[in-house]
Amino acid sequence: METVFDFFMSIVDRFRYAPLVIQIAVTFTFIAVTLTAIAYLSILINRYRSYQREKKLAKLNPLIDDLLTEHILMNEALYNEETVEPVVPLEVFDKPVFSKKWARQALINRLTMYRDNVQGAMGEQLRYVYLQLGLDKDSLKKLKSSRWDHKIQALAELTNMDVPLADVIILPLTNSRNRELRATARHAYIKLSKNEPFKFFDVATEPLLRWDQIELFRIITTSDRIAIPNFAQWITYSSNKSIVSFCLKLVEHYQQLSAVPAVTKLLDTRDHYLRANAINCLGKLKIESVEDKLISMYDSQPHNCQVEILKAIGRISSGKHVDFLRQEFLHSTDFEIRKHAAKSLINNQWAAEALVQELVETATRENKLILKHCMNPLIKF
Amino acid sequence: MNGIFWETAGKFFESGIFVYGTTLLITYALLATFSIIAVRAYARKEQSYQADPLLSSPLAPGITVLAPAYNEGLTIIYNVRSLMTLVYPKYEIIVINDGSTDNSLEQLIEAFELVAVDFAYNVKIPTQPVRRIYKSSNPAYSQLTIIDKVNGKSKADAVNAGINAASFDYFVCTDVDCILHEHTLIELIKPVLQEPKRRVIATGATLRIANSCEFDQGVMTRMRPPKQLLPRFQEVEYIRAFVLGKMGWSLINCVPNVSGGLGLFDKEVAIRSGGYDFSSFGEDMELMTRMCRYACDNGIDYAIRYVPRTLCWTEAPVTVRIFGRQRTRWARGLAQLMHAHFRMFLRPRYGRMGMVIFPYNFFFELLAPVVEVGGIIFYITGAILGWINWPTAILLLIFVYTYSVMITTLAILWDQLTFRYYKSWREVAYLCFTPFMEMFLYHPLIVFFSLRGYFFFLTGKKSSWGNMQRRGFQQRTPGAAPAN
Amino acid sequence: MYRILVIEDDEVMPKIIERILHKEAYHLDHVVNGKEALQKLEETNYGYDLIITDIMMPYANGFEVLSRVKNRKEGKPIAVIIVSNAGNEDMILEGFKLGADDFLKKPVIPGELLIRVKRLLMRYQ
Repeated sequence: METVFDFFMSIVDRFRYAPLVIQIAVTFTFIAVTLTAIAYLSILINRYRSYQREKKLAKLNPLIDDLLTEHILMNEALYNEETVEPVVPLEVFDKPVFSKKWARQALINRLTMYRDNVQGAMGEQLRYVYLQLGLDKDSLKKLKSSRWDHKIQALAELTNMDVPLADVIILPLTNSRNRELRATARHAYIKLSKNEPFKFFDVATEPLLRWDQIELFRIITTSDRIAIPNFAQWITYSSNKSIVSFCLKLVEHYQQLSAVPAVTKLLDTRDHYLRANAINCLGKLKIESVEDKLISMYDSQPHNCQVEILKAIGRISSGKHVDFLRQEFLHSTDFEIRKHAAKSLINNQWAAEALVQELVETATRENKLILKHCMNPLIKF
Repeated sequence: MNGIFWETAGKFFESGIFVYGTTLLITYALLATFSIIAVRAYARKEQSYQADPLLSSPLAPGITVLAPAYNEGLTIIYNVRSLMTLVYPKYEIIVINDGSTDNSLEQLIEAFELVAVDFAYNVKIPTQPVRRIYKSSNPAYSQLTIIDKVNGKSKADAVNAGINAASFDYFVCTDVDCILHEHTLIELIKPVLQEPKRRVIATGATLRIANSCEFDQGVMTRMRPPKQLLPRFQEVEYIRAFVLGKMGWSLINCVPNVSGGLGLFDKEVAIRSGGYDFSSFGEDMELMTRMCRYACDNGIDYAIRYVPRTLCWTEAPVTVRIFGRQRTRWARGLAQLMHAHFRMFLRPRYGRMGMVIFPYNFFFELLAPVVEVGGIIFYITGAILGWINWPTAILLLIFVYTYSVMITTLAILWDQLTFRYYKSWREVAYLCFTPFMEMFLYHPLIVFFSLRGYFFFLTGKKSSWGNMQRRGFQQRTPGAAPAN
Repeated sequence: MYRILVIEDDEVMPKIIERILHKEAYHLDHVVNGKEALQKLEETNYGYDLIITDIMMPYANGFEVLSRVKNRKEGKPIAVIIVSNAGNEDMILEGFKLGADDFLKKPVIPGELLIRVKRLLMRYQ
């Protein structure tokens, strides 16, 4: 025993009087070895845990599926579309496993998955199950968690299940310091608030990211509870460019002709990206009356707006401006401009059969190639 | 007199090495910390998005997938088909047949019912001439375009031709023999759409080695660490370089390179920077550098992002000869790049690129093999002349060894924490043992081939391109059903 | 008895479809990707009356299956319904161009799916 201790002490002594480099090296070697060992352990534990989780879920999910199938999917009453009262006997979910948090979470996930696939009376029933089993309380509890990702998850669940939320709960989240959470809370507000869902269009000062626009677009266009306002108000008055351009996309989606005057006014805006978006919107709405204005402003526009104007004339396809298109096609030095002019000419072909034919016969080699490219139904862009 | 000189020189050299080594070790420690922050943030964000809104959205930006192919006849049909099953609402695929001498083109024409079309091809980046452009006459393959061009002896030239024909604002560059995850496009475009302030000019993702994975008709069915030693070293190296290295750099927006195997790029910036350089030996990093340079010169506040998820599997060289060829080429590319863009070195005007990435690459990527060999020579001379304090030297060596094993193990841990790749823990253990041999077996090879690359760079030796012999992924799965 | 092939890589959707169509005496087969779908079709010599398919799935996408089914010269025609969450306008048009008979966006309304299936089966008789 003595000798082991002595040996140990002698090592400690040697370490103490060793040069600094050695001391550092030895210390860090120890740290490195320890961390490596911890890493191995973490890998093992982590794998074991998620293996266990998967195993449990593999057992639970079929059980949930069976319950949902038997009581919702097979339910004859849910095949006609009148709203029906809750029909699912809740006792069937009265199983010991559902008192555990993870199992309830699994049930929530499964219900959400089902709701992504069916709507109508069946979707309503899934919602009833969620509410009556008190799963919304689980979600609300998660909303109070200190972790932002849990809050986001909770918001996603509540939005999916269409659970109305009081403004006092959701409004503070819309000012969160975490960008992700802030955005999700605003989306949830639009879907779930009973007051003015589009309030954020008035107050938001930071730009809507493209990702947020995609998410918002889905929420707005898929929920039938939201009353669609006239987007012209924001197109005219909002100083937030991303909101304006997002509203243009909504105008296009809803074919909101009442907003056309506001969109037309936007053609005079100084921001050329926004202007291009406005032209694009008018083209997709096929507003014939703006064609003259577009053509008169064409020469003073930057490249992206010129391209949009050419596209718009192709989309509107009134047949009135084939000469303008021909001019651009023959005389522009820019390849892209010529291509879009050609494309729009082909779109206006019903009014310019002879012209197109003549162009094909007389154009230069490159121009002929462009025309053929645009005429070929196999090439989309 | 002479003795004092040598002693001073030795001291000087020793402390130089000490500072160099310490900086390198600290950098790795920092990278490990940064990367775990970035990886965790990614994982948290991921689990909070449930249904993917991008899939059904008319607002999803279009993406062009560029896949250059040279003599890939063995696998080309399956690989193109698998590209067509990528999950994304709006994309096109452009396969560039770079003057293959096998029957790739004939196979493509037959399988996808191709017809030559009059395509208004606009030369924005000059390339070898394009012979013909094909589209499918079957609307089911309408997103497919095949470019048949004269061989340009480089991937760069082929991809440039693809960029010229691309119709969307973003393009994804890959190899036709790479196997992509079905969510590749969604994952790569997300960082672009989610970036609040900057313009994301490129995104990359983790690459892995395909050698021992199982594939069926271009779809991966089972992920495995490579069974052979050399590819397994490469797998470990890739995990370290991507999950720990690139993710760490990504957190502070200092990503030096988006790998040529898979990356998404902003087409406008890529074209304006002149596209890929066909004379470069490391064309991917070269383009990235030029794109950053262009962004700095034009006041674009840019960002390059990385995704820690593995989205691409590539076949790694199995023999030392082919591996050596690859690494020599990479090293030569690095030397070439440093030489060509040396003006950016420590120039505040080039922001992070000039002040962080470039110095790092110069000292710790380019010079590392030279310093290492210098150190070894120093020690050998010292040993012969009897200067070496053996206990110190051995302790330092042990320290460096354990440290390098730790860094690699941490990389594997970061990777495992988020995704639990591989089927069993045995396979992970198998992978975890690999770093122990790395320093003695794999690392010397890399140092040697790097120096060879620098030598070729200095002497300007002509090099053959060395197309890898593909064995064909789908052939490795016994019992796979033949396609119709 | 009508034979219906469901091609869908999602986990939940086939279960739902199966239940929705269960009331009628249909014979349902379910495959999870394009490769299996094409195999199944070859095996049975296209012995189905209706196909319900997703668009984005491994091996061969829905459009490819669709074009294979609709471009068959001999044999009786088969009705195809696309059920997908990728309801991008271009994609819908593409589907119809290839000869799809109907396009349903997820989430579906069960009653609607049932009626559309019935109507198509009747039309193709």
